[in-house]
Amino acid sequence: MYILGISCFYHDSSAALLRDGKIVAAAQEERFTRKKHDDSFPENAIKYCLESQEITINEIDYIGFYEKPLLKFERLLYQHLEMFPKSYAKFLSSLPSWLNEKLRIIKTIKKKLKYKKDILFIQHHMAHAASSFLPSPFKEAAILTIDGVGEWTTTTYGFGKDNEIKLFKEIKFPHSIGLLYSTITAYLGFSVNNSEYKIMGLAPYGNMDKKINPYYEKLKQVIDIKDDGSYRLDMSFFKYHYSGRMPTKKLCNLLGGKIRNSKEELTQRHKDIAAALQLITEEVLIKILNYVHEVVKSENIVLSGGVALNSVANGKILKNTKFKKIWINPDPGDGGTNIGVALYIYNALLGNQRNSVLKDAYLGSEFSNEEIRKFLEDKNIKYYEFRDEKELIGTTAKLIFENNVIGWFQGKMEYGPRALGNRSILSNPCDSKMKEILNLKVKHREKFRPFAPVVCRKDVSKYFDCDKTLPEITDFMLMVYPIKEKWRKKIPAVTHVDGSGRLQTIRKEQNPIYYGLIKEFGKKSKIPILINTSFNIRGEPIVCSPDDAYKCMMGTGIDYLIIGNFLIKREDNLKDAWDGEKIAGD
Amino acid sequence: MKKLFEDFKKGQKAFGDDISSVVNFVLLTFTYFVGVGLTSIFAKIIGKHFLELNIKKDKETYWSELNLNKEPMENYYRQF
Repeated sequence: MYILGISCFYHDSSAALLRDGKIVAAAQEERFTRKKHDDSFPENAIKYCLESQEITINEIDYIGFYEKPLLKFERLLYQHLEMFPKSYAKFLSSLPSWLNEKLRIIKTIKKKLKYKKDILFIQHHMAHAASSFLPSPFKEAAILTIDGVGEWTTTTYGFGKDNEIKLFKEIKFPHSIGLLYSTITAYLGFSVNNSEYKIMGLAPYGNMDKKINPYYEKLKQVIDIKDDGSYRLDMSFFKYHYSGRMPTKKLCNLLGGKIRNSKEELTQRHKDIAAALQLITEEVLIKILNYVHEVVKSENIVLSGGVALNSVANGKILKNTKFKKIWINPDPGDGGTNIGVALYIYNALLGNQRNSVLKDAYLGSEFSNEEIRKFLEDKNIKYYEFRDEKELIGTTAKLIFENNVIGWFQGKMEYGPRALGNRSILSNPCDSKMKEILNLKVKHREKFRPFAPVVCRKDVSKYFDCDKTLPEITDFMLMVYPIKEKWRKKIPAVTHVDGSGRLQTIRKEQNPIYYGLIKEFGKKSKIPILINTSFNIRGEPIVCSPDDAYKCMMGTGIDYLIIGNFLIKREDNLKDAWDGEKIAGD
Repeated sequence: MKKLFEDFKKGQKAFGDDISSVVNFVLLTFTYFVGVGLTSIFAKIIGKHFLELNIKKDKETYWSELNLNKEPMENYYRQF
């Protein structure tokens, strides 16, 4: 039995395919269209899912959609009714897309895919809950979903056992911790639904002491948090419920200045505001989780929704709550809900037992050595072919040790927002200048943003102060932990200003070649850790195909591309060089 | 000649898009002020609210009942 899950028309359109309850393919549309956070109908992602299993749309038994569009439309109309006449501009800008595509989703699916069977609509937060509980290793777990907004809901909690999920209570729009985070992101001059993680990275540069940071008390005025973690926002500080812009003048006055222009220098005030926001987010999350633990009485917690991408907060959960184990989908945001709907249909609605623990995120497209060779030959690219894997690993480790920046393109593309070692840029974390080198050659990103370390799972406790039982989700780069004091100066390129690192752990069985490379680098440097950052030009999606990878290398300062069994040196192919900064975005 | 024909087609499309933008604007403005506006004013007169905007300090919790479980299969065919 095949079930296809689809999410689209908001942000991060994507598709996932289930075969007899097992997740066999998943990808985001942006990787194929090269448009970041692409919200269009995921035709390319669906095409990939079908081709990966060599099936046609006729073999799909069910298609699941990640929300109930009419409930969402009802919320939109209620917003306009409540906020008339302030919402006029928003009405004009949003209604056409509803009338043209969002309310015609059945027609769109049937027409674009030539699909004739059943389409099922799952409530958005149930899709989130299913995406985190059903592929988790837990038989039973408490569930928390927390995002910007679904149809009406912004936060829910519940309980999952075997193949059943119950969501008990909710907090409804417009009160949303996700939208509070997005509003401050906008206030600080960053793009909404894109740059929230930058605020998380900026926060440690601010004052993280609640008693001293003046903006903590100020921001507490915009949110009323109860003892059980439930909250409401004072909506006089916000206008996202009737306008395209998010903060009001009142919020600007409270925070002591107008909205920051994205080109304006970041001041200590901006950093302190980011810190205050992070503190409040963590406070709400921990309070909710402690309450949920009391009510649900499970040792396990699964999280989903965009707020679950806050890896700094995630890293504090087990220390500050009574939960003993935690699991999060590699893509807890809307991009991951397609897995949720497909599993919910198979397990909950059709009553099948769960048989799909998600152990790695390698669910995307891949290219054989023959396909890569053909690409290289067709483009007249000078390359070297490795004799075997040992030579590939040895040479790459040597190049990294010599401070070269490596584009690393191997196996199946990762599902979710993180590059986890198949579409990654790798470099040496031991060199104090590597952060500047990476920024100068490739990333050109804000100086305050840290780079992430990848370490073999067995070595992690030597370098990081982790939870006693290391959660499996460190494999998905979803937890930030402090780096042990004695190692901070030895791996400066991945040590954030507060001494933390957003680590990725890796097991040999997940990705033997990547694991082998880290170990080989460790033999040379005495520290088996690499910098792992996403393989893309700033503002572009992570590379998908050999063509994308080659273009990215030639448009940036990446020194070598290791693609499949081939090595390509940038200097040997300067005829194809171009300036990637011309297309770089936010 | 071919280029001229293509440019003409492009121009026609742009003109069509402009016309549809104007028609959309007029229809949506009418709908907003007559449909949404009148309903909203009437709702305000009778004290009906469509969103809960206010903070309530005296409340113990903001959690509200959801009780979302598995529903009959036919409910999932609906978009609401």
